[in-house]
Amino acid sequence: MARLSSLQEPMYSHLAELPLPRFDTTPWASGPELSKRRVAILSTAGLHRRQDRPFKAMDGDYRIIAGSSRANDLVMTHISTNFDRTGFQQDWNVVFPLDRLHDLAEEGTIGSVADYHYSFMGAADPSSMASHAKNLAGLLAGDQVDAALLVPV
Amino acid sequence: MGALAHYLEQERIPTTQISLIYEHTEAIKPPRALWVPFELGRPLGIPEDAPFQLRVLRPALKLLEAEQGPVLEEFPEDTPASAAGDSPEGDTWACPVNFTPSPAEETDQEKRASAFRQEAAELRPWYDLGRENRGRTAVADFDPETAAGILCDYLLDKGPMAGHTGMTPAVAIRLAAQDIKAFYFEALISRPDSDNPDSRAFADWFWGRTAAGRILRDIQAKCAGEDDEELRMTGQKFLVPMGH
Repeated sequence: MARLSSLQEPMYSHLAELPLPRFDTTPWASGPELSKRRVAILSTAGLHRRQDRPFKAMDGDYRIIAGSSRANDLVMTHISTNFDRTGFQQDWNVVFPLDRLHDLAEEGTIGSVADYHYSFMGAADPSSMASHAKNLAGLLAGDQVDAALLVPV
Repeated sequence: MGALAHYLEQERIPTTQISLIYEHTEAIKPPRALWVPFELGRPLGIPEDAPFQLRVLRPALKLLEAEQGPVLEEFPEDTPASAAGDSPEGDTWACPVNFTPSPAEETDQEKRASAFRQEAAELRPWYDLGRENRGRTAVADFDPETAAGILCDYLLDKGPMAGHTGMTPAVAIRLAAQDIKAFYFEALISRPDSDNPDSRAFADWFWGRTAAGRILRDIQAKCAGEDDEELRMTGQKFLVPMGH
């Protein structure tokens, strides 16, 4: 569905005209084979624990989601109204596939699941996330994470 | 999303990602991405379908073993709902809930607010049962009565809104609107006479046939005349989806 050409107005123009960050090069970090990787989820769905602060317009920071969280612990306060939320309301894995990562760890496809996962709110200006992402990289390394699974919404 | 991949890889954290908008990922060039053809809001495709979700995750994670990049692969399978949504012949869904009186006939705001509260009261038992059965709710901040109160009090100029300490009125209205939509959906899918509506069917029903949808559009219009910029922005962008 989400090739721009398949979207109808006014969504087409909204997304086609969105200013995008540009990068001259693509950095490349490598690691061991997949079956030995420790994987963390990084979402941009504006997810957080129920008792945590809701996201506000254009926040570029993130919320911490403990790996022990269950579906009822997690809510979504992304500011946009222009994407479907009924999928998340039925099954958190359609946005935040933590149960599926555990399935993959159990079958040996990945090595392990991180102790902590994170969510940004994707409507924020990407440049406002840069310093937070640098801080986050230290936290991921501290959790021995060598694979970040980035999941948009 | 792609920018985050750049930032993390610069710090030596390997990344892979799901992409929902092909052209954006193509332009940003993150190191590894799997584009999926699903609707926005459903990056893993189908709720309550673990085998399908695993079929998406495996190739996305496998990209971590690519030897060079950037690599942007395409997931070959669409979801039935997305495919139907792209087709004018897609199945139509008949919502079993018909509220009486029809909110579309009300012109007076007090009466529309009253119809909204009545709707919410009718749906509340189904929401409670669904929440109990699923052990979960996506309603985040406000129970349905508080959310309805915040929205109606603002619309009817009934003084300071209760129950949202520390929030600006604009944030409280946005979160109350989100919670009302989640409440309506969870109540609807809990009814024994409701076939699971897809996202488009639910949106068409909510925005076209409920007093709640009408109230949110009234609030959107009221926000447009506010001096407060945050309220104007909320009304303009954060309450009613494009196309509704």
